Amino acid sequence: MSAQAAVRSPRLVSTAGRSVRRTKPAPTVKPLKRDEKGVPIPHVNVIVRDTHRSRLADHYHTTLQDDLMYMTYVHEPTPRKPPRPPRLSYDPNDPYTKHRYNPPLGGNRWSKQPPPPSAPDNIVQLERIQIHTMLKNATSSRVNLLGPIMALRAISGANEKAGGQHTAEGVELVRGRKNIQGWVRPGIPVGVKVDLKGPQMYDFLSVLVEFVLPRLRDFQGVLMEGPSSRLDKMSAASGVVSFGLPPTALGLFPQIEVNMDAYPQTFGMHIHFMTNAKGVGAQNRARALLSGFQIPFARS
Amino acid sequence: MWSRNVASACRQRTKAVCLRAPSRSLASVAETTSTTASPAPSSSTSDAGNAPNVVLNAAVVLNRSPILTRTPTLFERAYYAYQSRIQRALFNPFPTDFYFKTGSLLEKKFAKEEKLREREAFGGPWTLKRRKQGPTQLDEDGILIASTDQTENMGEEPIEAPAPRIHESDRTGDVKSLDRMGERNLYLLIRAKDHTGKEVWRFPQGGLQEGEFLHQAALRDLQAECGVNMDTWIVGKKPIAVYQPSLPESVKKTLGGELYTFFLKAHILAGQVRPDGKNVTDFAWLTKQEIEPRVEKDYWASVKDILSDF
Repeated sequence: MSAQAAVRSPRLVSTAGRSVRRTKPAPTVKPLKRDEKGVPIPHVNVIVRDTHRSRLADHYHTTLQDDLMYMTYVHEPTPRKPPRPPRLSYDPNDPYTKHRYNPPLGGNRWSKQPPPPSAPDNIVQLERIQIHTMLKNATSSRVNLLGPIMALRAISGANEKAGGQHTAEGVELVRGRKNIQGWVRPGIPVGVKVDLKGPQMYDFLSVLVEFVLPRLRDFQGVLMEGPSSRLDKMSAASGVVSFGLPPTALGLFPQIEVNMDAYPQTFGMHIHFMTNAKGVGAQNRARALLSGFQIPFARS
Repeated sequence: MWSRNVASACRQRTKAVCLRAPSRSLASVAETTSTTASPAPSSSTSDAGNAPNVVLNAAVVLNRSPILTRTPTLFERAYYAYQSRIQRALFNPFPTDFYFKTGSLLEKKFAKEEKLREREAFGGPWTLKRRKQGPTQLDEDGILIASTDQTENMGEEPIEAPAPRIHESDRTGDVKSLDRMGERNLYLLIRAKDHTGKEVWRFPQGGLQEGEFLHQAALRDLQAECGVNMDTWIVGKKPIAVYQPSLPESVKKTLGGELYTFFLKAHILAGQVRPDGKNVTDFAWLTKQEIEPRVEKDYWASVKDILSDF
């Protein structure tokens, strides 16, 4: 017995460094669960963030932001007067009026508000781009919307819940809201729209500026209203710049150009550029920003 | 503290205590009620009885904005590669039959390229096999040079290789080239006489004429000192900084009063500086860090906040 142990012990020493015997069975890899479409569901919520640096966003931060700060600066040496109290003062201790919303007399007149004071925090910035198209023949058959849906998906690259981001809405249907005889009824799909934010937005903008607008025939630039138009209109004070593209522009997007014949019909689209500019003359500040991205504007 | 542009530098500064200095950048002191009387730009020398005489100058901070995107750091590159791998693994299947006719040459080309991209993203044992280095070659930056073979390109024109990120002038140290330091903001500095008659490095500047606005004077003075061989654009009509040297009385007398130099930002779009050789002997396109050792201390204090760190 002791002799056996003496024989066995040197072998034990020699194998002490690497254990030959498995202590635990090899883990069995379970296949991932699959959803109803047959796509595997990962163990964790995977969210895709930015996959590349955005060239136009870089251009905004290195050059445009400074220039816009200088161009839109309004010198206000004294602090602003506080806004007029909304209504004649009432007893704030009155439990009825204490937490009640007290609307200003005559509405808040948001389009008449002056822009916020010039500060490095509120330099005009592009927030999102909305592409929107409406088809007349969608009311007769909703199948006609399939082409626009595919085209907008190709142009924008947006997809519903793309990259695990629950705010990514992708291409949405626009439904009618009013009942207009012979044209639109409430609830029926009449068009499609897509909202773009972040790097996707800048990618779309660069494609628009570099491929579409230069090749568009008889395009003199986005027409602006004359200098006599008021700056406190709703459209002039909301910081949104919109223009439309004709149906011929659809074929100029490189994503569509490669297989133009796959789309049964061409259609135009409205593009809305939404910025954070607010107050009187906000649209002009938004135009200054967009012309920095090389969208041409023309006086009508 | 580095900041990527002037606006973000302003944002940091307005949160800190704002000091009033005789020389400062204008945009940073929007909230400090400035009491330095900004004189009417129309009159070069005011002749009111009690008001001090002032001499106005308009200077141009001529900027060449970056022509290249910033080189991503190692961490950024790893991050973007990781995110694109996730995206490639998760994206919806590509509808090949919608985009290509089945069996077409384009489809084959796409499938081949897609396979390459897949390998590049996820790797695999087959990546060890290097492709033949015959038609495709890498340039010094590791970018694929397109092959000139017509069968590979399906009759399309071969793509030109991009220019290298480091220009010739970076190697030779040529500060006059507009192509140097493509990732950085460059500013024009000229070697000329200042108000005391000394030869210094400074921004192009000049006096105002009667009834002239600052931005008009800035453009005229820029052309007078740097030649008309440039296409420039003055950003806005407002000055972005002011330089007010503390002058001795004798200099003030010869100048005709207190001296204010207002800076306006401008961009160069085309062309190059052509100094006349008499008033302006030299010029250089410099980054912010290169400007500091060349200019006077009080001059630097007034312009450092309007120059971009990158």
